[in-house]
Formats: sequence, C-alpha cells, structure tokens
Amino acid sequence: MKVLLSWLKDYIDINETPERIADALNMSGLEVEEIIQPGKNLNNVVVGKILSRDPHPDAEKLSLCSVDVNRGQPLQIVCGANNMKAGDKVPVALIGARLPSGFEISKAKIRGIESSGMMCSKRELGISEEHGGLYILDENAEIGQNIVNALSLDDVIFEISITPNRGDALSHLGIARELSAIFNLPLHRDPLGDEDGEGHVAEQVTVEIQDKDLCPRYGARLVHNVKVGPSPDWLKERLEKAGIRSINNVVDVTNYIMLDIGHPMHAFDYAKLAGKKIVVRPAGKDERIATLDNAERSLDSSMLVIADAEKPVAVAGVMGGLHSSVTDDTTSVLLEAAFFDPTSVRKTSKRLALMSDSSYRFERGTNIDNVPIALNEAARLLKQIAGGNPVKGIADAYPKPEVLRQIKVRTRRVNRVIGINLSPVQIETLLLRLKLDTRRDGEDLIVSVPPYRHDLSIEADIIEEVARMYGYNNIPTTLPAITSVLQLPTPLQKMEKRLRDHFVSCGFNEIMTYSFIPAAIDECFREKKPLMLQNPLSEDLSAMRTSLKWGMFDALKRNILNDEFNLRLFEIGKAFHPAAGGLSEEHSRLCIGFSGSADPKDWRRSAETFDLFSVKGLIQNIADLLKVKVRYAPGSCSVFHPAVQMELMVGKIPAGEFGQLHPNLLDNKKMPKCIFIAEIDLDKLATAIEDAGRMKPIPELPAVRRDLALLAPTAVAHRDILKILTTEGKQLLEDCYLFDVYQGKGIPENCRSLAFALSFRDPKKTLTDEEIQPMISRMVSRLDSELAVKLR
Amino acid sequence: MSDSHEQLLKQYLSEKAKAATTADLEGLRVKYLGKKGEVTELLKGLGKLSIEERKAAGAAINDLKTQIQSSLEESMRELALKEQEARLSAEKPDHSLPGTWPTAGSLHPVVQVAKEVADIFLSMGFFMAEGPEIEDEYYNFEALNVPSHHPARDMQDTFYLESGQVLRTQTSPVQIRTMEALQPPLKMIGLGKVFRKDSDITHSPMFNQMEGLVVGENISMADLKGTLVMFVENMFGKRPYRFRPSFFPFTEPSAEMDIQCIFCEGKGCKVCKGTGWMEVLGCGMVNPKVFEAVKYDTEKYTGFAFGMGIDRIAMLRYGINDIRLLFSSDVRFLRQF
Ligand SMILES: [Zn+2]
Repeated sequence: MKVLLSWLKDYIDINETPERIADALNMSGLEVEEIIQPGKNLNNVVVGKILSRDPHPDAEKLSLCSVDVNRGQPLQIVCGANNMKAGDKVPVALIGARLPSGFEISKAKIRGIESSGMMCSKRELGISEEHGGLYILDENAEIGQNIVNALSLDDVIFEISITPNRGDALSHLGIARELSAIFNLPLHRDPLGDEDGEGHVAEQVTVEIQDKDLCPRYGARLVHNVKVGPSPDWLKERLEKAGIRSINNVVDVTNYIMLDIGHPMHAFDYAKLAGKKIVVRPAGKDERIATLDNAERSLDSSMLVIADAEKPVAVAGVMGGLHSSVTDDTTSVLLEAAFFDPTSVRKTSKRLALMSDSSYRFERGTNIDNVPIALNEAARLLKQIAGGNPVKGIADAYPKPEVLRQIKVRTRRVNRVIGINLSPVQIETLLLRLKLDTRRDGEDLIVSVPPYRHDLSIEADIIEEVARMYGYNNIPTTLPAITSVLQLPTPLQKMEKRLRDHFVSCGFNEIMTYSFIPAAIDECFREKKPLMLQNPLSEDLSAMRTSLKWGMFDALKRNILNDEFNLRLFEIGKAFHPAAGGLSEEHSRLCIGFSGSADPKDWRRSAETFDLFSVKGLIQNIADLLKVKVRYAPGSCSVFHPAVQMELMVGKIPAGEFGQLHPNLLDNKKMPKCIFIAEIDLDKLATAIEDAGRMKPIPELPAVRRDLALLAPTAVAHRDILKILTTEGKQLLEDCYLFDVYQGKGIPENCRSLAFALSFRDPKKTLTDEEIQPMISRMVSRLDSELAVKLR
Repeated sequence: MSDSHEQLLKQYLSEKAKAATTADLEGLRVKYLGKKGEVTELLKGLGKLSIEERKAAGAAINDLKTQIQSSLEESMRELALKEQEARLSAEKPDHSLPGTWPTAGSLHPVVQVAKEVADIFLSMGFFMAEGPEIEDEYYNFEALNVPSHHPARDMQDTFYLESGQVLRTQTSPVQIRTMEALQPPLKMIGLGKVFRKDSDITHSPMFNQMEGLVVGENISMADLKGTLVMFVENMFGKRPYRFRPSFFPFTEPSAEMDIQCIFCEGKGCKVCKGTGWMEVLGCGMVNPKVFEAVKYDTEKYTGFAFGMGIDRIAMLRYGINDIRLLFSSDVRFLRQF
C-alpha cells in the first residue's frame, strides 16, 4: 500500500525524516518496503508552453516544437509524442537535467535537427507507469516553474506491506494512528461532512438487509445534481501518487475515502436503480451480473449481493455492476458504505476469482463505525467538487449495533509472557497510546477494543500490543530454564547421517530434486499410480514421485548433456505412494546414480568404468557399514536392462534394486551405454540393523592357505562353485574368496578361469597338509562331476 | 714395525684411497687378507723363523692385519651407505604426478547449512523431530490457528493433492505432531522440505525450513530472544540484531529477527536493499489457540516457536544468486561445496 507523507499530515503533525518514520513503522510491525521521493531526482525539469508544433522535415513521426520555458529564447525541441498541440503546457527537461531513470539530457541532433531539451511523459518523470504520450499539465501551470513545485512532487511515498491481521492499517488514517501511538503525538483532522441536505433520504430510497450476519450494517446517501467530470488536481494527485488511476470525480471520491479512512465505498447511478430500493440478500441460484470489469458472472446462493427491486446491482463488498455504474450522464448518485462479513466476502471473491481493493479490505475487516462518516464525507466532497446537492440523512440499516469487545488482561500474565515487570499503570499507559481504553479490575485490566481492531480478540493479542509499545528491543534476553524431554535420533535419522558421510567419502555428490515430477514420464519409472496435485505450477511439476529413479535419471541426463560424463550422484528423500482412504504413504529412499569412469582422475585406472559389480560392491559395502544382512535376487525392474540388474533382499523382503539403465531409455546420443542406478528403501533397511554382537577371539594357531585355479564352463555360476567349496570345506574352511576371473587367450571357448583363495584353520590344533588334501580332492571331484569344472 | 710391513701398509692405504665401490674394497680384502693375500702370505712365512723371532714377528704381522681389517670395515660401512643412498635416490618417482585416491564428493549445500544450524540447537539441548511432507489441512493450517477462508492463507500459496491433503507449506505441522506425542517441557527442532506455489530466482516451489519449539512453565519472550540471539551469534558471528513485530497466526506476539547485513556490515548494499539489515527468521510466543489444539494447559505452559528458510541462509552463506540452482543437480554447481 502506498501512503503519502503529505496526506498523513492531515492527521498528525509529524516532523521526522522519512527514514526515521519508515524505521519506526518497521519496528512497529508495518514493514516499509520502499521510500519513494518522486521529486528527489528531478532537477532542471520545468513547466513549458508549446508555442508551435510543426512536422520534422525528415521524419514523419517526429514533431518540431518551439517551447517557452521562461528562460529567454524559446527552446527548439524534437519530440516523438503525438498528443500535444500548440498552447499545451508540458514538463520540459532542460539541458543538464537527469531523469529518475538515470537518463541525462544533453543537446542532441535528432535526424539532423538540433533539440535543446526533452518534453516528458508521466513515466519519464517517474510519477506513474503511464506513457501514453506527454504529460499535459493544467493550463494554469506557471511557465518556467520547477516541476517539483508545480506538481507538488516534493512528497514522500511509503510503500508499506501490511500483514493480514492489520486491516485497520490499510488507510492513511490507520497509518497515522500507528504513528501517533509510536511517537506519542495527538491525532486530529479537519471537520468532517454532516448529514445536512435537502429533502429526506427516507422518502427517496429504502434499504433492506435480509442477511444480518453477512451484512450487519448498510448505509446509503443520496446526492442529486452531480456533474460527473474530471476531478480537481489535488484529488487526482493524491490518488495517482497512491497508485490509483483517476476516473471521474464520483469514483475518485469513493476511492479517496477508502484510502483516507480505509472504508471501501460504492456509487450507484440512482436513476438506474429499479424501485429506488436497495436489498442486501443472497444471490438467487441462477442469477447473473455484469461487473464493472466488463465480465459476465454467474452467482450462487452462497454469495451476498446488493440488489434493487429487480436484480443484483453489485456483488457485496467485491465489485459493483456495470448497469448501475456512474457514467458521464449520471446526475443522481447513491453512495454506499457498509460492513460485510469478512469470511463471506473472501469466499465470494475466491469463488468468482475476483479481487478488488474493496474485497481486500472487507476480508481483513473494516470499521463498522465508519459507515456514516464515510457517507457524510463523500457527500461533502461531491458537493464541493461536483456541484452535488446531498439529500438530508442516511438510510442506515444497522439492526443490531455492535458492542465493543472487552478483553481481560492479567498483569501477571503480561509480565510472564513477555519476561518483563510492568505495573498495571504502565500497561495502561502503553495501551492508551493505541487508543485502547482500559478499566482496572484489581491488578488486572479490562480492555475495550475499538471496532477497527479485528485482530484483538484474546489476551495474547493485547500482550502483543503491550510488547510492541514497550519495544521488542527493550525486552531482556534470557535462556529458558527448562530441560527438555529426551528424544534420541531414530535409527533412520542415524542411518541417513551415516550414509551421507559415507557417500561423500566415496566421491558422490548429493543432489536434491523436486518431490513432484512430470505427469508424463516413461511408465517404467512409476512404482504405483502417482498422487496428483490439484493445482500444479506446471505439468512438469504435477505428480508426486513414486520413486527417486526418475529424478536421478533426469539429473544424470542433464549433466551428461552438459558434457559431464563421469558422474557419481546420490539423493536421500521421500517417495510418495497412495494409501488407503485416498491418503498417502511416505517412504524414505536412497538413490544412487553412476555413469562413466569409476575414477577418472586415477591416471593408472582412468579407463575402468563402472559396471554391475561396482554397484553390487557399493551396496554390500553400505550393508556392511550399517550392519544389515542382505541377499541378492534376480531383478525385474523395467527401468533396467533385463539381464543386468538385481534385487536387494533383506530377509524375504525386497528392499531395493539396481542395474544398468535399459537401452530404450538412452534417448540422447551423448548418453553412454553404461549408466547405473540403484534405489534402496531405507525404512526397510532401518528395521533390519543387527546388533554388533560380541567379539570373537583372535586365532592363536596359523591358517593354511591354498589357491585353486579352476576352468569352468561359462554357464556355471560363481555361486554354484562357491557352494561346493564351502560345503566340502566344512567348519575348517575359514575364508574362501574369488580373486581372479579370466577369459580369453589360453582358455578354451565357452570357458572361463576362476581363481579362489582358500584359508583353512582349526582353532584347536595346527593343520597339516595331510588333513587338508582329502578335503581339496573331494572339492575337485565334486566340481568335476557336478559342474564339469576342472582344475587348471 | 719393519720397513717391509710399513711399505705394505702404505701400499694398502694408497690402493684403498682409490677404491670407489664396495666391490673395490672386497678386491682389496682378497688381495691383502684373502687365503693367498699378502698379509696371509706373511703369516705363512712365520714358520721359517725361530720361536723367539716368530713371537715378535707374529705380533707385528697380526697388528698389521688388524689395522688393515678395521680400516677395510670402516671404509666398507661408509661406501655401503653411500651406495645405498645413491641406489634409493635413483628410485625417486615423479613427485609431481597427482595422487590417485578417489576424489571426495560433496554434501548438498542446503544439507550442510541445515547441519550447521541443527548442531547449534542440538548443543543447546534441543532434539530433532520430523514429519510428513504430505499433510492434512488440519496439521498445516487449522491446528496452527489458520482457519479456512482466513486471509492468512494468502501468505502461503498452497499445493493441494486430489485427496484434499496438502503439501505442507511450512514445517510447523511438526510442532503439532510433536506436541500431540509428548508432554512439556520440550525443546525441539524440525527440519524438512516445504512447498509453496511460487517460482522465480528467489522462490522455489520446494524449499527447506528449520522449525523450532520450546514449551515449558514460564517460558517468556525474553527466553525467545536469548535463545535466538545465541543461535545467530554462533551462526553469523556477533553482530547487531533486532526484533520487529510481525504476524504469524500460530504465534502471538510474533516477530521477525533481523541481523546486520553480513555483506555490507550495515552500510547498505544490494543484498539488503540498502537497509543494512537482513531478515533471518520469524518467531513468536506460541498462540494459546495452538496449545488448545494439542490439549496443553494454556495457563500452565507458555512457549515460543521460530522458523527459518535454510535455502535462503545457504544462498547468503555461499553467495548463490538463483535458488533454482540448488535443485538443478548440476555437478558444476554441487562440486563447489
Ligand atoms: Zn547489505
């Protein structure tokens, strides 16, 4: 909201600097976002009178003007605008002037003709966004006068952001009231309009409220003989500086009252009201209205309308109707000021997707006491600036006058919550600055809340007012004297921390991708039908991810398209699945993505790429780290190459899968063949973490080691060989691992060589060759007979 | 010592002076002390002498032998050492070749900052709580004193699921869930992703928040200030701060905390829009209506809550100019942290 310092001065004699005022408002909870001083950067711009306008000899779109700026000879200025004529007065930036945009005026030749200055539009002067041509000044402007003075630009405009609870501050009066409290200055204003006039309103219009809850008060005042026309400069200037376009004197007056005291108003063309009657009622089921913004709108019975004897003429508190609006031909104006229920206005405005300055204020609560004040003041202004004759009296329907809210405030509670030690008198003094009247009840206070403070309804609200007036920065700093209940990190939390550190040590970069992903992704990335957003930002962010694989795929791909081929990425986050009753389940997941070289910066092994076994190794590594027993089973996830993937099992429960990306998903030539993704369900892992157990004694006796080099048909799985070795090794075979796989020169076709390291140990005695040899023989013979695997 | 012995010793010494390697020395040993060595030959010649003569001459030859022997041993040690040095230094690789252990990765900058923030509160005796990202409207709004059709809902443009649930717009529902589960006194922080319908260089439809809650008997606004000042000083260093009144439906009184701009030290710059101040968090005393929602005794307990955008702090900390970079997964960005 834009607030003018000059306007505030109608209410308060404040002589602080703009910065000091802004600071005080900030510290009071009304955030000043910007201080605008339109005249500050305007030097050397004066009022000029166009003496003649001729076409530019070499450019048909340009004009050549002779302009009197009361500085000796008239200036010759080339101008591109089209809306001026000889005799008009316009702002002229002289040579050396600097405009708010930073543009500096110098002598220039434009299409061969010298131009000594520049005639300006409103936008060029920085006073409005309007740029439909030059700013044609009032004909009485004094030639040569500095434009800052001529247009009263030496004003200060505060752009204030007002929190939703402070509807009372949405006006100049509201801000002045706050300043009066902060600076402890009196609030005053010139005498207001009164109810005087000719005839009597009751004879010319009736007001009927059908829903007293949604409209507790509706007032109307009639003004005849209005001459609709432009507003006087003072009014236009105030509105424009406050960011509202001047329309005509009648509409401007209603907007003026709204900015002045915060009460939205509406003006009807009295001649167009059927039956000279106002009825405040719910809209009929299929009623329609064309609103001022030229749109046809369907209403329903949840919406409150203002109607005449026949039809709706306005959507209550939101917008007036086109048919009954004030036009140039209007002569009698019916002014409306009312109080509408905030929730009802908000619902209607949301339903119609129609926001207005009115609805904005009604939603936040207006001052019901302002109804007559707004009407009388508007009538006075119409009389003053539009020659109107107000009719005596207000048609004021106010069936159940509001009673002031009373809030009990306990001194002890105030001090306990804020952490200070004020006496009841001190509290009263602070509240009085905010015009909150109090009455003593022993040590406690009963506070009467003015009708404009809709945010004050419970004791805590008053405590905030005390704290604000006391000054947040005067409150001491202490530390809470409590010890919290103990809540240790959950196994999942501990696991996530462990994994993050581990992956970083292993060279992985952590990514964080959106929880919502495109609705149109390859079906294979979906584990379930995704939960959909009702109101997504875009189609690309409209489905909750059912797995982290798509995000990883997308991340890998986008990096690869940036020519980053060696990638190690991980993400820890939630996957979302639909659950019973239309609700959702969240699963903690770990997703890993690899592409390119396993270690591109190892100059000895840089050519080695990731393969399925690097992934399997990494996953085993995590399982060992977390102390979870895992198994591997054949995988069947359609994201992966059907043959190059595995499923991770914890006991009998699948807990994840990994594999090489399916060739069909490599949809860009840059993408290498070997991209791997793994996804693990951390919730499932967390439930399977095993206790570390007790230590085993260090063996005292030496182990006997043997290597076995085997020649196996390629169809024989490592697992099958291992099984025979371990069964035959019985308890004595302490360790047995594969240390080499070879295929190629020297090895028959369809065969491979597998080399195992075996280590035997008897904890009770030193083993001899004679004890081991029979065991090895049995292994070899079973390998041969069962698997056709030979000793090399 | 006889002249001939002296002569022999001289000869040995001059030859030894020329010896450059341990092999040369070994040659000398054979030549003088070997089976047919010159000193050995002298000893063999003793048999031709009488017992008397033999005694004296034997002692002299043995003396010569010992001299040569110890001289040889000493030189041998010296040369062996030199030779080893030469041999080892020949093994020197190109030290300038790069090391080859796998390069370390990086934690996401937001995760790093969240950890920093959390560590401060955990050290102050807070515990960490979590909650779901998809919330019921009740937890995200109603229980936090934001009724439907209240203008406060405009403060956060909400994503709705088809089920009518919402993507939480703040981590504050974690407060409600924690209070439903535990009785005071408690000091908790909650961390997580939150969602608002907004997207530009300073707003992302998904971002990260850290939430805090302290509830107990006699918890005051002074405690709120003290706790947050302690946090801010540990996070940003000791610097001027201020609390400004503000509005959050779930706290009353409510405040925003500013610290002196970390870029211009209060002089005014682009980041702080010339004000010299940077907003770091929102906070306030828990609104009794929130306590009513979780059935806490509003007379017995008071408390304070606070919340801050972790992404924003990360952006300030690292000078990140576009919030969307955080969610870009771009390794050219991620590797910098
Ligand atoms: Zn700054």
